[in-house]
Amino acid sequence: MNEGWLALLQQALGLLFSLDPDVWSIVSVSFSVSFAALGITLLPSMILGFLLAFGRFPGRWFVTNLIQTLQSIPTVVIGLLVYLMLTRMGPLGDLRWLFTQKGMILGQMMICAPVLIAMSQAAFTSVDRRAWETSRTLGASWLRAIWTVCRELKVPLLMAIVAGFSRILTEVGCSMMVGGNIADVTRNIPTAIALETSKGDFAQAIALGLVLLILSLVLNFTLGTLRGKAEPRSH
Amino acid sequence: MVKLVANNLEMKFGERHIFSVDRLQLSQGQTIHLQGDNGCGKTTLMKLLAGLISPSRGAITAEGFEPLPWWRSNALLGKAVYLHQHPYLFDGSVEYNLSYPHPFCSMTKQQLSERTQTAIEMAELTHLKNQAASSLSGGEKQRLAIARAWIMQPKLLMLDEPTSNMDRFSQDLVLTMISDLQQLGTGMLISSHQSCMLTSLCNQTWIIENQHIMSPYTADSAPINLQEPRYVIAN
Repeated sequence: MNEGWLALLQQALGLLFSLDPDVWSIVSVSFSVSFAALGITLLPSMILGFLLAFGRFPGRWFVTNLIQTLQSIPTVVIGLLVYLMLTRMGPLGDLRWLFTQKGMILGQMMICAPVLIAMSQAAFTSVDRRAWETSRTLGASWLRAIWTVCRELKVPLLMAIVAGFSRILTEVGCSMMVGGNIADVTRNIPTAIALETSKGDFAQAIALGLVLLILSLVLNFTLGTLRGKAEPRSH
Repeated sequence: MVKLVANNLEMKFGERHIFSVDRLQLSQGQTIHLQGDNGCGKTTLMKLLAGLISPSRGAITAEGFEPLPWWRSNALLGKAVYLHQHPYLFDGSVEYNLSYPHPFCSMTKQQLSERTQTAIEMAELTHLKNQAASSLSGGEKQRLAIARAWIMQPKLLMLDEPTSNMDRFSQDLVLTMISDLQQLGTGMLISSHQSCMLTSLCNQTWIIENQHIMSPYTADSAPINLQEPRYVIAN
C-alpha cells in the first residue's frame, strides 16, 4: 500500500518536474482565470469595503449583511446563477461566454468579491482613527491619507486578498458548470483533480494538488512573516 | 499673519451639547493654555480648529494661508497641526515617521534634510533612528511626534496634553522644541489639566466650563466678511 502511494507521489513529482504539458496547461488556465478575476475585482471591492466601513448612507446595514450572506453561498449556486445568465436564453447569452474562460472569470469574480468586500470592510473598521487624522493633519491629501491607512492595514488587507484568491483558485462548482471542464481551454486545477480522480488517474490529481499545496504554503508563510514583523500597537 | 476665527461655534454629538462660543481667535504668535475638566470638549475644540472635524453650527475661518490648489478644500489641514494626546506613529522606522510630512512641506529638500537632522537630535532619538516606531516608549513616541511637527514648522499647532505621563527628561526636550517653535512664531493651543513647564510658555488662557468657552475677546478681531476671498471657510 505504502509502496503504491510512494509510486504515485513519484509519478506526480515526475509530471511536475518534467514540465508535463497537460499538467502545466491546467495550471496555466487556473492561474490566468483566477488572477484575472482577482485583478478585476480587487480595486472596486476594496473601495466598497472602505465605503461600507466609513460611509454613513441609507442601506449600509442591508448591503453589509447581504455581502456577508453572499460569502457563504455555495459556489455551485453561484455557478448555476452565472450559467443561467450566460445560457442562450439568459440576459447575457449574446456574449457567448458559456464554457469559456471569460465565463469562468465572471463566475469567480462573483465568488471573490464578497470575500474581498467583507474582509476589507472588517480591516478598515478596525483601523485606528488617529492614523487617518494624523495623516490629514500633517498635510496629506485625501488620496494620500487613504493610501497611508491601507499601508497601516497591509496585513489584514493582504489576508483578504489571499482569502479571496484561495477561494476562487480552489472552487470546483462554478468552474465545472460555467467552464465545462474542456481540456486546454477551461480545465483548471480543481475540475481536473475531480475528473482525474474519477478516472482513477491519481498521479495527475496528486501533481495538481501539490501545486495548490505549495502555493498555499508560500502565501501563508509570506503572510506569517509579515504578521510577525507587525508589532502590536499600543498607545 | 495667519489667524483662525471661529464665529457662533456650537458642537454637539447627537443630542449631547458639548460647548458653544460666540467668538474665538487663534493667531500666530499666541500661545494659549486650554483648560477644562475631563470630557468638556478640549480635544474636540482642537480638532475643530485643526480642520479635522466640522462644527455642528457656526464657522471657522482662516486668514493668511497660502492659496489652495483646486483639489484641496480645507485650508487648515497641514497648516494647523493637531497632535493627539497619545500620538499616532506610522508603521515603520523613526526616520520614516520623521520624513512622512516632507512631501507636504513647502521647503527645499536641503532645508527638510537639515530640519530632520536637527529635530532628531533635539528629540534625542538619533540612536533610535532606524528602529521601529512601535517599539519606542511612551515618552519617546511623544518626542518623535513633536519632532515630526517641528520639522513642518506649522503656522498653528494644537498640543493635546503633550506632557502627560512624561518623565522630566522628556518634558525638558519637548519644552525646548515647543519654545523654539514659539520663537519662530507658531501659534499654539496647549491643553493641560495642570500647570506645567509647558503651560508657563502660555500668554493666554481659554477655559471650557459649563459648556461654554471663555476667552479674552480681543479688540483687533473686528467682525469679518466671509465673502472676502482671503477667508477660507473650514466648516
